[in-house]
Amino acid sequence: MPQITYIVDGASTTVDADGSSVMHTALRHDIAGIVAECGGNAMCATCHVYVENGPLAALPAISVAEEEMLECTLSPRAENSRLSCQLPVAPTIDGLVVRVAAEQA
Amino acid sequence: MTITAPHGITGPRSDLDVFLDSELLDPWAGYRQLRDLGPVAFLDRYDMYAATRYDAVTHVLRTPEVFVSSEGVMMNDEMNQVLRGNTLCSDGAAHDASRSVIVKPLTPKALRPLQESIQVEASTLVDRLVERGRIDAATELAQHLPVAIVSNLVGLPEEGRERMLVWASEMFNCFGPMNDRTINSFAVLGEMMEYATTQAVPGKLKPGSWAEAIFDAADRGDVERDKCPVMMIDYMGPSLDTTIFAIGNAVWYFAKHPDQWDLVREDPKLIPSAINEVLRLEAPIQAFSRYVAVDHEYEGVIMPAGSRVITYYGAGNRDERHYPEPDRFDVRRNPTDHLGFGAGPHACVGMNLARMEMRALFESLVPVVKRFELHSEQRALHNVLRGFTSLDVTLHV
Ligand code: HEM
Ligand code: FES
Repeated sequence: MPQITYIVDGASTTVDADGSSVMHTALRHDIAGIVAECGGNAMCATCHVYVENGPLAALPAISVAEEEMLECTLSPRAENSRLSCQLPVAPTIDGLVVRVAAEQA
Repeated sequence: MTITAPHGITGPRSDLDVFLDSELLDPWAGYRQLRDLGPVAFLDRYDMYAATRYDAVTHVLRTPEVFVSSEGVMMNDEMNQVLRGNTLCSDGAAHDASRSVIVKPLTPKALRPLQESIQVEASTLVDRLVERGRIDAATELAQHLPVAIVSNLVGLPEEGRERMLVWASEMFNCFGPMNDRTINSFAVLGEMMEYATTQAVPGKLKPGSWAEAIFDAADRGDVERDKCPVMMIDYMGPSLDTTIFAIGNAVWYFAKHPDQWDLVREDPKLIPSAINEVLRLEAPIQAFSRYVAVDHEYEGVIMPAGSRVITYYGAGNRDERHYPEPDRFDVRRNPTDHLGFGAGPHACVGMNLARMEMRALFESLVPVVKRFELHSEQRALHNVLRGFTSLDVTLHV
């Protein structure tokens, strides 16, 4: 099973990616700071992460809907900002490292 | 793309009449029966599949390459023609283009400045109704915010606005199969489409309104000009009844479960969770549909190209395979993944506004109302919507 590392307030946690998305996996492992108010539909921007490391090329491109919502994040948007609900889990994302945005909602 | 039984149906079938009055008023046992039959079941009376398990509904909604919306998301051929090309009934690049226009005023960021005025409007309303004591919550409590706020923001001409609630409800009836309810509602739908085409036009729209922004987008070439009237329906159709029914459903649940209201009163931070729980238990939109564009196998059932699948948000939300004790109302459950707003690319674009309105209302009720006493209720008998037309309640302070 692929593994994902979440950095929350400087502390790293590595877990088995057993959810359908990076957001869903975080909820299953009680990773703090992922609110996911809209349930993974790119409508709330409360699952904001910064992709720090790992197989960047394996991630899907930012869709029109994600782009719109990335403009709504409370923590500032950066080059490596993504909505974790829009990052599906697949074997190719093994080793992904994301930093959870401090402010979500 | 007429709805007919495809050849060689395999997999589970059912002759349950899901649109019978009694089923619409109390659908839960029927839903369970369908969920237990299989991942999807073919409805012999309607020549459509029904997806009722949580995983099946989610799969359909999140696989738009197979389960397309551009052939319509309703359950009769005529209606599937009427709304062609709006956000709801489009796919891929065309859907991206119109959804980007529609979503603009509805993002969390765009709505933040509205929050305060919605809160003020909500608390003024609650003060007024509490003074009265005994009210009709389905109309007096539930209709005010959506009508006052949304109608104004959408910015349609004043004249005709009072018909909006009737239009929205009748329009949704036309989403059903060709039964009497659908046929009777078609007459009123014509009136709504006429208004969208002849009244909701530049010059008559409020300057700076959401409706005007649709025409601005057409002027920039972001969407096609002839799509503007059906895009008006994206705002006129789904923005009122849905929220109104959701508010009424919440009051009904709190009246029936005073212990749960007490929990929310003790900890108002539970309000968003309670709202999700009500939307899970009583999805205001119970079902839309998708057209199957290519042969598709799901958990051993082959759905042939050309068939249609009814996506039961309301049944997926009560699936015991996904939610433990699915029929229990638990304000602490916080089911953020419920299907009341749909899922995937067509997930409700108005959910942030709907949540904001509901939150403002219940935040205003919590400090003053100790108990909702329900005297009587009248359920709407409707092809796809679920809610109340009247809720006679006393607000105890
Ligand atoms: C509690 C209130 C509401 C509920 C339960 C609700 C429910 C839904 C559902 C289930 C869908 C998915 C349709 C599909 O799967 O094809 C949807 C889509 C949509 N809703 Fe809502 N809705 C609500 C409020 C609103 C509001 C307030 C607005 C507008 C201001 C709105 C506008 C839309 C639009 C335009 C779509 C189509 C989105 C697309 O196809 O991309 N809704 N809604
Ligand atoms: S969960 Fe809402 S945008 Fe990701």
